[in-house]
Amino acid sequence: MANVAVGIYDVTKRFGRTVAVDGANLEIHQGEFFSLLGPSGSGKTTLLRIVAGLEEPDSGRVVIDGGEVTGLPPYVRKVGMVFQDFLLFPHMNVGENILFPLKMQGIAKAERDERLGWITRLLHIDGLEERYPHQLSGGQQQRVALARGLISRPALLLLDEPLANLDRELRKEMEVEVRRYQRELGIPFVYVTHNQEEALTMSDRIAVMRAGHFEQVAPKYDVYSAPATAFVASFVGHANRMRGRLKAANGARAEIDWSGLSLEVPAVAGTRVGDTVDYFVKCEHLSIGPAASPPRFGDNRLEGTLRDVIFKGQVADYIVVLANGTEIVVSEAVGLPRVKTHDAVAVTWAPEAGNSFRAEGA
Amino acid sequence: MATRRLAERVTPLFLGTMLALLYVFLFAPVIYLVYTSFARDTVWPFPWRPNFKAYMSLIDRRAYQEALWNSLGIGLGTATLSMTLSAMGSIAVLKYRHRWRGLFSIIMISPMFVAELLIGISTLIFNRKVLGLPGNVPSAVIANAVHGMSFGFLIMLAQLVRYDWRLDDAAMVFGANPPRVFWHVTAPNIWPAMLGAFVITFLLAFNNLEISFYNLGAVPTLPSLAWGSLRYGLEAELFALAALVNGVVFLAFVVVYVLMRLGIVRFGYRGI
Amino acid sequence: MPKGREAVPTSRRLFHRPETRFMLLGLPGVMFVVIFLLLPIVSVIIFSFWRTEKYEIYADWNLDNYRTVLFEGTYLIFLLRSIVTAVIVTAACLAYSWPVAYFMAKYGGRYRLLLVLALAAPFFTGAVLRLVALQAIMGPIGVINMALGLIGVPAIEFLMFTKVASGIGIAYLYLPFMVTAIYLSLLNFNFQLLNVAKVNGARPWRAFITVTWPLNWIGTAIGITLVFIPCLAESLTPTFLGGPSGKLYGSVLGLQFDQTGTWALGSAMGVLLFVVCCVVIAAMWLTINLRRSGFTGASD
Repeated sequence: MANVAVGIYDVTKRFGRTVAVDGANLEIHQGEFFSLLGPSGSGKTTLLRIVAGLEEPDSGRVVIDGGEVTGLPPYVRKVGMVFQDFLLFPHMNVGENILFPLKMQGIAKAERDERLGWITRLLHIDGLEERYPHQLSGGQQQRVALARGLISRPALLLLDEPLANLDRELRKEMEVEVRRYQRELGIPFVYVTHNQEEALTMSDRIAVMRAGHFEQVAPKYDVYSAPATAFVASFVGHANRMRGRLKAANGARAEIDWSGLSLEVPAVAGTRVGDTVDYFVKCEHLSIGPAASPPRFGDNRLEGTLRDVIFKGQVADYIVVLANGTEIVVSEAVGLPRVKTHDAVAVTWAPEAGNSFRAEGA
Repeated sequence: MATRRLAERVTPLFLGTMLALLYVFLFAPVIYLVYTSFARDTVWPFPWRPNFKAYMSLIDRRAYQEALWNSLGIGLGTATLSMTLSAMGSIAVLKYRHRWRGLFSIIMISPMFVAELLIGISTLIFNRKVLGLPGNVPSAVIANAVHGMSFGFLIMLAQLVRYDWRLDDAAMVFGANPPRVFWHVTAPNIWPAMLGAFVITFLLAFNNLEISFYNLGAVPTLPSLAWGSLRYGLEAELFALAALVNGVVFLAFVVVYVLMRLGIVRFGYRGI
Repeated sequence: MPKGREAVPTSRRLFHRPETRFMLLGLPGVMFVVIFLLLPIVSVIIFSFWRTEKYEIYADWNLDNYRTVLFEGTYLIFLLRSIVTAVIVTAACLAYSWPVAYFMAKYGGRYRLLLVLALAAPFFTGAVLRLVALQAIMGPIGVINMALGLIGVPAIEFLMFTKVASGIGIAYLYLPFMVTAIYLSLLNFNFQLLNVAKVNGARPWRAFITVTWPLNWIGTAIGITLVFIPCLAESLTPTFLGGPSGKLYGSVLGLQFDQTGTWALGSAMGVLLFVVCCVVIAAMWLTINLRRSGFTGASD
């Protein structure tokens, strides 16, 4: 248990009639980069604020670094935090902002200055100490906020959508850097985001949240390739959803009828013939080719017409209208498939590339 | 097209003239007052033969000094009380999204919509007949503060709506307990609003006649002295005192304005 | 165990809760209003049903005070006169304040703050002295009439101890409130919306009526109330500038307390004044439609 940096046990928080966090259980390990990923309103920020002590849970316990902190005010928890919009103190210059946590802890001036030197060099913001927040660029503000969160070498750093307000270019750059600082310092990071790319780039493990509970808590690769629920399958990555009726089950595979088209899918435990099944397959797992290309045994093969190609740089999205009138999206390298708009095309993939679930609410 | 362009030129000119006339209307009596404070005859102070007799005699007129001290006491007491209560109230209403914040705001603002005369007579009745208290400076301070607090509250609300209270959250996470959060983060950002509330409530209470009048009994203040001596004709000393007050406040405003222009103090929270 | 991680006493946990903090910060102000404004008003209401005799008040319940105020002629006439004066003065203030506030907000530029602070400058001086000075300018031996006399023009009589003079005096005292209220509203008004209206074919006056006016109505309504109520209760100005026939309700009400000592009758008059004020506030409140006012402050 000494390995647990943060323990969240049966935590529930209600705001009026809405349940923001619903009986959450989670252990985050020392040295781990952990992301809470979910759409807005899923309770991820509330959970982070509960760990920080800014919200008090209605029930349940929070343990940081082996010590129970439930009910303790934020100012004795000694965690670091990086806020959305950075929340730098506008009346303090960069140096005063970064040193604020040490000043509150009553650390001697000599040590404060030494640590300021260390953190500003680490984050490449040395020389900015005299500037005020409104004189900084977005990226600099971001680094100052990170420095303020890290200077006291907290047991834990909480990050609340810190990159949400940066432009795309800068965000990509910061993703890599934030990950690097986490590695160098070995401090566990708990990172809240609604952006799956951020979570996938930076994290060791990801918890996918929806409506106050965890859909899946797993290493990032598993979240991506082996989603535990239909929600995770649709939320992480870009997937096509195919909802169909189970026609036959034979061992590891099953056959479904998707609006008149027959598909092979991985079998879903506990389903019977006639049940509704949701099958998700990521766009990049599909292949597209001319309709004349020969089928491969065991693959799903659907024929249709290429409606449009959406160029995205290295890859393009190919939008195919199928015989049953629905559209599916295929991501493939640009120029690789020899197809043109309005061509008759075939889309093929191995059934195991996708994941099937018993349909929710069907 | 030409008429439209003409209208666009003339309209601001016309509106500007209206504004200038308003200032003339508002300032003429004040200027007249300062002018007369240097005159020998307050009823017909023309032609101007400046002298400082009124100012000199202020030094040894006990009545005026006593009134001045009482007025200052009422002003400062009211301003301190109003500022404290309105700062607490505005922070409560803006920072905590409590379901009663609308109700609290309405209650805090309501005294502004009660006429001064009514505040005066109702506190007189309540203090004298219900509580059996004599009229004195503290009861005048309280009655004025009821009125002042609502002005202070509105001033602070207007200035603080854009303040980001999550800054307080940030300070708390980084180890500041509530008093230190206020001292290190909230106060440095909201002091201009608090100062604004203090100055306005001070001026309102310092110069107030109706609320103070009913709550003071025989204790003189500058406004009540002026009111009382109306029927005998005002002495130049009152003009001199008012001119002095104007001078001091005006100077303070000029100093603050210059400091702001030079960027030494920032007035109002502007975010990052 | 690290410092500060010991068990927390319940009292401290309670203190940390947002509800507790809200109450600790908000309740003092609210209680202050309840104790020092609401209770006094309640006692005025009670006293208005009692009886005064020789500066002493007796708790025998009766309606005589209201009978006197409502049916014995003069009091009601004073009240009506006050209401008419307040309506006229408020309308005049409104008509003058809008263009002025509009100018300050739209063309004030970097001097906006200075322009609005200048409105506060008259308040450095007490009302009595300012009215004395105003009278010295407008009165029979005032600057205006003496100057007119020098160039052979007859004096403007309506400026001398008349209802007009007292109206000008009241407007003088409260005009800055109206301008400030409308200015603050216009300060938060997005003037770009007018261009949108004009691009869509609205003429300037049409744009004003359909966009500017409704979006600034709350500020205007606050300004109207802030001027109307003190006008209604004004006692100082009419006594001083209005001459013998210019007396208003407020002056008569004041007399009950500082001259005749008829506190119960004064209380009944106060209650009546309070009721009229409440009606005015309620009427203004009914004109406000929060959803169509562009007001977003407290809804999220």
